[in-house]
Amino acid sequence: MTAATPDPAATPSTAARGSAVGLDTPPPQAGRHARRAVARSAGRDRWLVGLVGVVLLLAGTGAALLAFGIFGTGRAQRSVLDPMIVDALRAQPLLWRIVAIVGGLLLLVLGLLWAIRSLSPERRPDLALDAGADTTLTVTAAAVADAVAGQARALPGISRARARMVGDERDPALRLTVWLAEDADVGEVCRRIPEEVLAAATDAFGGRALPVAVRIEADTEEGPRVR
Amino acid sequence: MRVLLRVLAPLLGLALAAVGVLVVVEVVAAWIGSAGTTGSDGVIVPWPSWQQTLDGLVWATTPVRITAIVVAVVGLLLLLVALAARRHDVPLRPPAPDVTVTTSPQALARMVGRRVRAADAVSSAAVTASRRAISVRAQGWEPTDGGTGLAESVRGDVESLLDDLPLANRPRVSVAVRRQAGPR
Repeated sequence: MTAATPDPAATPSTAARGSAVGLDTPPPQAGRHARRAVARSAGRDRWLVGLVGVVLLLAGTGAALLAFGIFGTGRAQRSVLDPMIVDALRAQPLLWRIVAIVGGLLLLVLGLLWAIRSLSPERRPDLALDAGADTTLTVTAAAVADAVAGQARALPGISRARARMVGDERDPALRLTVWLAEDADVGEVCRRIPEEVLAAATDAFGGRALPVAVRIEADTEEGPRVR
Repeated sequence: MRVLLRVLAPLLGLALAAVGVLVVVEVVAAWIGSAGTTGSDGVIVPWPSWQQTLDGLVWATTPVRITAIVVAVVGLLLLLVALAARRHDVPLRPPAPDVTVTTSPQALARMVGRRVRAADAVSSAAVTASRRAISVRAQGWEPTDGGTGLAESVRGDVESLLDDLPLANRPRVSVAVRRQAGPR
């Protein structure tokens, strides 16, 4: 589309407002930070669950092939706890005990780290503003969220809005979720959010332009007829 | 799938940690036991009796085959969960380099559904949407005056909404209509 698409070069976007404090060219990683702020990343969990799945799949498939005699009927008739392997382990008990203990400790530490990181809530970093050499000015994450969500709710066509800070203190970002009312002009809302809400937030925070991820949802007033 | 992943991930982490604890405890206990007493039964896990059972069990038996297949199926399911738990966001054109705008397939489907149902000729509609395709199944009345057909009218409404939405990639639109009998 096109008629309602804002031209970044012609609108007072956050980047343009940032130029007053030397942010006229957004850092190259800004877009990446904004994309990362869209939702909490599940990359680590997906990778690890996939890894456990692959290990189980390979082990189960290998054992099944062996049990069905694909590697020879002689092998399939051997004991599951093969005496050859048991003898090899018993030949060097000290080595294998140490290997088992180190492996167990590794599993313990990695498993606990994984569980703790999966269960820990997403961080809400405060926003540190540049207030001079001897002064530190910090805006709390809740204050930033309230200010931005309040601005967004004031726009026509938006029935609800929620904002939260994400990332860490060094690279904070903002996640803004807006729910469109039934009679909303979607294109107009998309154009006005960066022009008015985000630009006002940038002004309020001393010209500091944050990477922002905007999520647009449609308010449900008509029941679940769609999926 | 992302909810299932969020539940599974900490459980698997705790399971791995539990296995690690059991291995360390049993190996250390067996090590200490072998220096003093003999015939230990294991501290938490009765592994000596498991060892005896596995000693007398050959690979080509039904319990081993079933266990192997179950392990492989569980692994496959975990792999599928991990692969399917990606995000299905619908990206919109970013208005500035440091701003990302997305919507969900459900929200896009609702917007399309509202626009389609707003037409007088449509009595009901169901919409499925993704970033690549929008599918509309509508029911309504064909025009009696020989004007634009119902399918063309519905497609026009959807295309008009897509014109208003700054989507990064325009999805394909498919429309299926069912003619409604009787008066409006």
